[in-house]
Amino acid sequence: MTLLKREDWEGFVRDVDWTYRYVDERTVFPPIHSGSGKVPLDAWRAWEEDYKVTYPEYVATQSEKESAVYAVKASMQRSSNWEDLDEGWKSATKMHYGAVALGEYAAVLAELKMARFGLAGPWRNMAVFGQLDELRHASIATYFAHEFVDRDPQYDWAQKLYNTNNWIAIALRNLFDDMMSTSNVVDLALQLPLVFETGFTNLQFVALAADALAAGDVNFANMISSIQTDEARHSQQGGPTLEILLEHDPVRAQWVVDKSFWASARGLAALTGPSMDYYTPLEHRQQSYREFMEEWIIDQFVRTLEERGLKKPWYWDEFMRGLDTWHHALHLGLWVWRPTIWWKPVAAVSKDERAWLAEKYPTWERLYGEKWDVIIDNVNAGNVAATLPTTLPWLCSTCHLPTCNATQSREGAWRVRDVQLEYDGRIHHFCTRACRQIFWKDRVNVNQHTLVDRYIAGHIDPPDLEGVLGYMGLTPDVMGDDPDYTAWAADYAGRPAEGLAREAAPSVDPHPTGGRPADDPVHLDAVFADDFVHVLVTVSPTSTMTELAAEVARHAEGRRVRARGQAICVIVGGRRLPDDLTVAQAGLRPRDHVVVDYVTRVQP
Amino acid sequence: MTNLVGPVLRMGEEIEPVLAAIADDNPGRAVAVIDRGAYVRIEAADRITLTEATLRRHLGPDYEIRSFGAIMSSFRGKVVTTSDSITWENVADHTSDGVTP
Repeated sequence: MTLLKREDWEGFVRDVDWTYRYVDERTVFPPIHSGSGKVPLDAWRAWEEDYKVTYPEYVATQSEKESAVYAVKASMQRSSNWEDLDEGWKSATKMHYGAVALGEYAAVLAELKMARFGLAGPWRNMAVFGQLDELRHASIATYFAHEFVDRDPQYDWAQKLYNTNNWIAIALRNLFDDMMSTSNVVDLALQLPLVFETGFTNLQFVALAADALAAGDVNFANMISSIQTDEARHSQQGGPTLEILLEHDPVRAQWVVDKSFWASARGLAALTGPSMDYYTPLEHRQQSYREFMEEWIIDQFVRTLEERGLKKPWYWDEFMRGLDTWHHALHLGLWVWRPTIWWKPVAAVSKDERAWLAEKYPTWERLYGEKWDVIIDNVNAGNVAATLPTTLPWLCSTCHLPTCNATQSREGAWRVRDVQLEYDGRIHHFCTRACRQIFWKDRVNVNQHTLVDRYIAGHIDPPDLEGVLGYMGLTPDVMGDDPDYTAWAADYAGRPAEGLAREAAPSVDPHPTGGRPADDPVHLDAVFADDFVHVLVTVSPTSTMTELAAEVARHAEGRRVRARGQAICVIVGGRRLPDDLTVAQAGLRPRDHVVVDYVTRVQP
Repeated sequence: MTNLVGPVLRMGEEIEPVLAAIADDNPGRAVAVIDRGAYVRIEAADRITLTEATLRRHLGPDYEIRSFGAIMSSFRGKVVTTSDSITWENVADHTSDGVTP
């Protein structure tokens, strides 16, 4: 029997639709879900995917993919492959499983929403394939992680993370709620299939596979690159949706793409950046994170967006500058706050590794070298305690990642500057200017409070780091720690070191409340000198500026910023405040930003 | 301006035969191959096409072109699939119905 060619019949089946007789179309596709906006409903009839697949083709091909992936898994399971993997690399996979496995499940729901409310038959049809794809991804990620749970409980966080109040889980829920759960399907198709899947997931699923294979993790490389073959198909829901929206409402199309591009870029900097530039063993790194971003996002994806008629986002220069800084600061932050994560971050700053970083990122030594040097000297002095966190990093109200992006002034000084706005009676701080702008434009949709917001609101009991770890669901058997300090610190052993934190850090706490919550606490966003991050500090209205300065300094001085043994002072709005002034007299409000620096560095 | 288009293939045994098929189906065209181990990026200016008939010559008579979806992790430009061919071309060709002014 000769079968008809697909082209001879698919026109009849791929665009099947109902003729509504008892209800009108708007009732079937309520605007809140279908999101047609300014686009006339008829316009969606032109929706056509380029990458056409029929159901029999889909089933046959997916079956082949599954067989191939599970065959490799079975053969690897019989080997000692996992035991032989570098601990740093394993961390890249643990991070992946935690952040991705149940994120894929959120994507199942997102695809189902498009399968129900998509405004064209072919679109709904593609979304049905898409939800089957995402179901496969959620299954595969949880199943692959499961194999290692009995050997290492950190793998259990593939299932656990999203159900905790871990700060990364809150950040991911915030990201995916906006991208998938709360969006109408038009915005959803632009945010998830178009921006996230045509663009950014390529970094974590294809580019990272290159590092995975080189690092000897054949199983993981095989699995993630197979997943992305599904994305390559169902992500095509984005193109035709964008095309129709651009014709009728180009301003909306540009905004939705821009904001999700930014959110994706921030998320990938935290996830893929450290995996590529630190957790992958040096000898196995195929390219730097920046080089992979240039290949996949700038050369491939952004050019596609421009060909489709979009402009570069308004924040383009800020994004490009961030390629040299964001993920380095995030790596440093993940390492410092390692008890809050479910993997074992390697610092990866041996001399050879630093030479590689400096070659790939000319500003690396200037921005991060000295901070790591202070950490290294503390480790070599036997004072690992001084490298552990003493408070929370201040988290950005938009992306929920630490405010840790240094920028350069006209005079050449690199500092993590404050980007803030006041809304609804509260001062918000942001990691970048674009995060601030996105918050302002989207402010009515901002519902997820950061971990710092929750701490300040009194949701965490007891209100200290131990309480925070408990709130986040971290138990001692899972909390992250560097698996091998010697591997990177030994290169520097024996060199003279000054300006380190004194041992047993809490005993140097000069704060009048002795680390206990004040009766009337004032929580501030503070940064010490050129430290890499803003942190939360808590003082009382009667604390003097001398006391406030000491409280800010104790979280950073001698820990990441070399202590100078000189007088320090509080600076607000570029002005030094008198040492004996109190917090109340200075008019400092809750969540205000303060800088503490050495007096000699303050302009008179 | 040169617009590069083409597939990104995941690790696997089919890569060499696919490259040979692409060479056959796109005679005289410069096709660049960037090999990063776990993936191979294949690029040419403006258009690459690949037919099932040619793939069968290199991968065996039973090869079905729909299986190409199992090895293509990503692609540059846009991809147009029919029952017996795959073509990668510029996104802009689509919006102008393939007519270049």
